[in-house]
Amino acid sequence: MNPHLTLEEHEFLEEKAYEIRRLSLEMICYSQWGHIGGSFSMAELMAVLYFHEMRIEPNNPRWDKRDRLILSKAHGSPALYAALALRGYFSVEQLYSYCELGGILEGHTDMKRTPGLESSGGPLGMGLSVAVGMAVGLRLKEDPRARVYCILGDGEIQEGNVWEAAMSAAHYKLDNLVAVIDYNKTMAKGLVTDLMGIEPLAAKWASFGWEVLEVDGHDIPAVAHTLYQARWVKPHGQPIAIIAHTVKGKGVEMAEFNYKWHTHAPDPQTADQMLREMAITYRRPEQGYSRIDEPVKKETFYGGE
Amino acid sequence: MAESSPLNPLEMRDAFGQTLIELGKRYPEILVIDADLNTSSKTVLFKKAFPDRFIQVGIAEQNLFGIAAGLALMGFVPFPSTFAAFTSRRALDQVAISICYPKLNVKIPGSYVGLPTSRAGASHNCIEDLAIMRALPSMRVADPGDNADLRAIMETAMETDGPVYFRVTRLTLDDIFPAGHRFEWGKGVIVRPGQDVSLFGTGMMTSLCLRAADLLAGEGIQAEVIHMASIKPIDRDLIVDSISRTGCGVAAENATILGGFGSAVAEVLAETVPAPLQRIGVRDQWVDSGGIDELFTLHCMQPENIADAARAVIKTKRAFTIAT
Repeated sequence: MNPHLTLEEHEFLEEKAYEIRRLSLEMICYSQWGHIGGSFSMAELMAVLYFHEMRIEPNNPRWDKRDRLILSKAHGSPALYAALALRGYFSVEQLYSYCELGGILEGHTDMKRTPGLESSGGPLGMGLSVAVGMAVGLRLKEDPRARVYCILGDGEIQEGNVWEAAMSAAHYKLDNLVAVIDYNKTMAKGLVTDLMGIEPLAAKWASFGWEVLEVDGHDIPAVAHTLYQARWVKPHGQPIAIIAHTVKGKGVEMAEFNYKWHTHAPDPQTADQMLREMAITYRRPEQGYSRIDEPVKKETFYGGE
Repeated sequence: MAESSPLNPLEMRDAFGQTLIELGKRYPEILVIDADLNTSSKTVLFKKAFPDRFIQVGIAEQNLFGIAAGLALMGFVPFPSTFAAFTSRRALDQVAISICYPKLNVKIPGSYVGLPTSRAGASHNCIEDLAIMRALPSMRVADPGDNADLRAIMETAMETDGPVYFRVTRLTLDDIFPAGHRFEWGKGVIVRPGQDVSLFGTGMMTSLCLRAADLLAGEGIQAEVIHMASIKPIDRDLIVDSISRTGCGVAAENATILGGFGSAVAEVLAETVPAPLQRIGVRDQWVDSGGIDELFTLHCMQPENIADAARAVIKTKRAFTIAT
């Protein structure tokens, strides 16, 4: 395996990241619920992990030698679902059942419904502990190859449980565990620095005994190279933290670093504008919202709204 | 370690530690995870027998249950062990969403339950675990009446796929059941037949119900004593059957009366054969430090209190019968 992407690989992953972003927005607009900001910020991370780095078999989702990924920031589920659909765990059409009663895609992750999901989540700060348990389990099963990836939000590391897990991962010397922090600088109600600062972030993880790597989380070759390092170069008895510097809402100007788009579903016209802007930004054929002619979903309860 | 006998009684937590070893021999997938309490919970016995299958997480209960979830996802059957107070308060979100929501195969022993937990006070005397665990979808809940019952619950828990919460009392209880006793989810057991009043006990309170029945028998009142280790699912049929014969009941638990076992019995009665019921348990109070006997007296959970409650419900039943 080569740490550097070929031009073809780079272009392929760029297209996947664009599709992940585009489909996330389609899902959120169609269901009228979801988190745009935190889905867009991890589009490149999902693309490189699911289409380049991870050893997985979508036709055999429970292959026991597979790499595992836990989305601790489970509200970023649209980006993960889009990656899973594009990778072939289920159809792209099924993405439009997101948040529908009886569908396979819950608002927050439910592993019992969705092929390819490795855990269930929603409450922040809990996923890294589950990842630690999996990494310990791989050790007990004497599987030296498989890796466990855990995607954490920056805001969620304010949760104490994260640091319990971080302490234990270093204690158990889990160099088969990679935590990726989607450092998009923005929380639900404001900027991280304003609400509860988390710096110095790299020093925090390092002081907990982790090997720390930093990368621009939207730079596909850099992300690929960092994940390569995490698998092949760095592991020597320490868990690995990748601090991925990202932009909340990346790809649509009005959503970037804007906490108002943390949880907010656009109306079809706004989604259409956003998608057209995104196509220009990422040099794709012009493409608007695919279901603009369909009625917008509205809550009706006792006849009201 | 010796088996329990009248001359050498075994605390339930020791029986728990021994049973873990027995199951550990039969089920290589069992792992025990501890948050720095193994000599109190007695998981230390498993640690000595299977050091490679014992994981120490330090004083970090949220991490304890998260790691248990991860290990279950890898095909192991973890027993994450800590005090019931920390399971049901500190780590509830992890128990609920990391374990119960995906129905993972995790068996959770709750140590130090109810009043007999040494003299640690309200922070450690866990009275709300039954109510809290019962409220979680897909969780099964059991409170054993004696050591044989505990063994049977642990055996059945291993044969049951999915999350289980069971209590381990820090006390030596009277033996109720013979060796080889079997436990089934949703099945209660009539341990003493009677026709005047039904005494429903769970956990250690069944012993106290039996003593109350002795007191009542001296007055010519024949109490039926039913042990219901399986709190969720609960044996609706047996509750209905017994109450249809006796017309009134008492439900006793080593826990708060709000939302736990007594509430479960009351729910069944309200939905099937409404009948007078009194509940024995902690009545919306914190359980402070004190001697075990003192605490049972203070919280009106002694056999005499159960007998008083039985006399009261019998009176209510008669008044109701005359009125109608």
